[in-house]
Amino acid sequence: MVLVLALGDLHIPHRAPDLPAKFKSMLVPGKIQHVICTGNLCIKEVHDYLKTLCPDLHITRGEYDDDARYPDTKTLTIGQFKLGICHGHQVIPWGDLDSLAMLQRQLDVDILVTGHSHQFTAYKHEAGVVINPGSATGAFSSITYDVNPSFVLMDIDGLRVVVYVYELIDGEVKVDKIDFKKTTN
Amino acid sequence: MVNKRVPDWLNSSLWSSPQPPPSPPPPSPPPLSAVAISDPPLLIPPPPAIARPSEPPPSSTSSSPYAHAPKGENRDPLTSSYANNTSVYCTDDDEDDGSPSYSAPSNGGDSGAAAPPPPAAQDVSRQAQILQELSRKVINMVELRKLASQGLPDGAGIRATVWKLLLGYLPTDRFLWPSELAKKRSQYKQFKEELLMNPSEITRRMEKSSLENHELEAGSPGFMSRSEISHGEHPLSLGKSSVWNQFFQETEIKEQIDRDVMRTHPDIHFFSGDSTFAKSNQEALKNILNLFAKLNPGIRYVQGMNELLAPLFYMFKNDPDEENAASAEADTFFCFVELMSGFRDNFVQQLDNSVVGIRATISRLSHLLKEHDEELWRHLEMTTKVNPQFYAFRWITLLLTQEFNFADSLFIWDTLLSDPDGPQETLLRVCCAMLVIVRKRLLAGDFTSNLKLLQNYPSTNISHILYVANKLRAH
Repeated sequence: MVLVLALGDLHIPHRAPDLPAKFKSMLVPGKIQHVICTGNLCIKEVHDYLKTLCPDLHITRGEYDDDARYPDTKTLTIGQFKLGICHGHQVIPWGDLDSLAMLQRQLDVDILVTGHSHQFTAYKHEAGVVINPGSATGAFSSITYDVNPSFVLMDIDGLRVVVYVYELIDGEVKVDKIDFKKTTN
Repeated sequence: MVNKRVPDWLNSSLWSSPQPPPSPPPPSPPPLSAVAISDPPLLIPPPPAIARPSEPPPSSTSSSPYAHAPKGENRDPLTSSYANNTSVYCTDDDEDDGSPSYSAPSNGGDSGAAAPPPPAAQDVSRQAQILQELSRKVINMVELRKLASQGLPDGAGIRATVWKLLLGYLPTDRFLWPSELAKKRSQYKQFKEELLMNPSEITRRMEKSSLENHELEAGSPGFMSRSEISHGEHPLSLGKSSVWNQFFQETEIKEQIDRDVMRTHPDIHFFSGDSTFAKSNQEALKNILNLFAKLNPGIRYVQGMNELLAPLFYMFKNDPDEENAASAEADTFFCFVELMSGFRDNFVQQLDNSVVGIRATISRLSHLLKEHDEELWRHLEMTTKVNPQFYAFRWITLLLTQEFNFADSLFIWDTLLSDPDGPQETLLRVCCAMLVIVRKRLLAGDFTSNLKLLQNYPSTNISHILYVANKLRAH
């Protein structure tokens, strides 16, 4: 039972001052084992904050990130699943699911976590699943209207993953989930 | 004037001088484990830790153990039980504890390095007596308690069965044993399933019906639909009734239990080390403690409970009967609950200063000491100002498991559990006896040396302590 937090596109301080208070109250240290961040934090303070949530932090570079040392893509294995991270601004057309599927095959991962579009999506194709946690601060995006703050928490338990989607709609936190499993290793 | 002196029987040279074997006394008292080399029926010379008078014991005193019969009925069984105990010393090499055959041939044990004593006749007969008592259709608890208080032999899983009877786990009617055991064991299994499940599994079971499960490899590409969560259950939930929240709140206790179990008896292979056997034992201990904490929210887990649990689990797991050994975890759980019911007040912090709390118990010990040995009491508490809390706290809360080696503490527990006065009372008497036995050293010492002595109690002849404790009963 491993809890993995996936979030990104915070754009602090340029487009948003901070995470929504309701999200912050839920994100307490000690519960989450890994944090995956798609990019565009943008400053070091946000990095430090995420580090306090959980020491195991994986970040990829977004186009506005201050720190140029984050990698473009990253892969890691958690339990029985291989996860890949990429911000997504490198994949053209932006948000195109087939191109993302291509990236997924390149990285050879079961779950690809990307961002950039500031909109939550969960898409399944033959090579695996693409999850976009959206923007955790609800920052402005030139390609999406009406951005709701959202992030994703994955509960990886053996061969099964439950993806909890946390979204702030009209000031209230709404939680949904998506269940999937893989049959073989 | 009321005679508050130390009673004569206590002052006799019997207790304070080493008893030589008929051959010339050895240049230095032999270590306990080599005791086996000397003849069995003799009282083993107590180690030098116990002060002795300067006069060399004349040969006449060597016959005195038999001439003396202060409390007749207890003498012989204790000597023989001590002879039995020596075989425990021989065989109970800590390294051996990993194997379940520990309990098998220890009576008159052959596996010791030194030549073991041939089992004393009384020894074998006592085991036979106990076995006979156990094989009755309805067990006579009074008889059993009497036999058990003199010490139980290590063989044939006797101790495991007798402890289960003494703790009320097994009913006295033998006929009911299989059904009772089956009932309790399945109850334990149920507890485990209900209470030790992690939240992922719980949520999965909660929504078995409405599961929309996507499979990665199958199906056509498409957006995955979101489904509602049930009961507002999600991992970051801060609600009081949320399974997840409760799970995270219990993590602290779980971690504490983890750490303590790792630290239990690091020298005994049964409990620690890298073998799968040790690991599975640790798992069992953790399960039991976690379950106890869950079922008793008032007391949860307190450091020290692991020490009370260890001897129980050890005995039951080493039961030569396979079925019993396999269900040792379940049996231990219920016996542990029973044991704790008598002692739980010691662990509750709020009760510390109340009539039933640990402070009151310690002051009762103080009173007991004052009653029996006012000189020592005065010296300890007034002159050297050794507050009994400094040493008695650990003695009482952990039932003396930390003061003696593992085998000895099993022996003490036999007496504690079987005495009709109840374990709490008996414990106080044993602690008082422990103090009285080292009185000469205590009277001669100051605060530092007394505290040091009492916090690292010297290894002693256990039967001696129990004998003295028994004598304290009459007053």
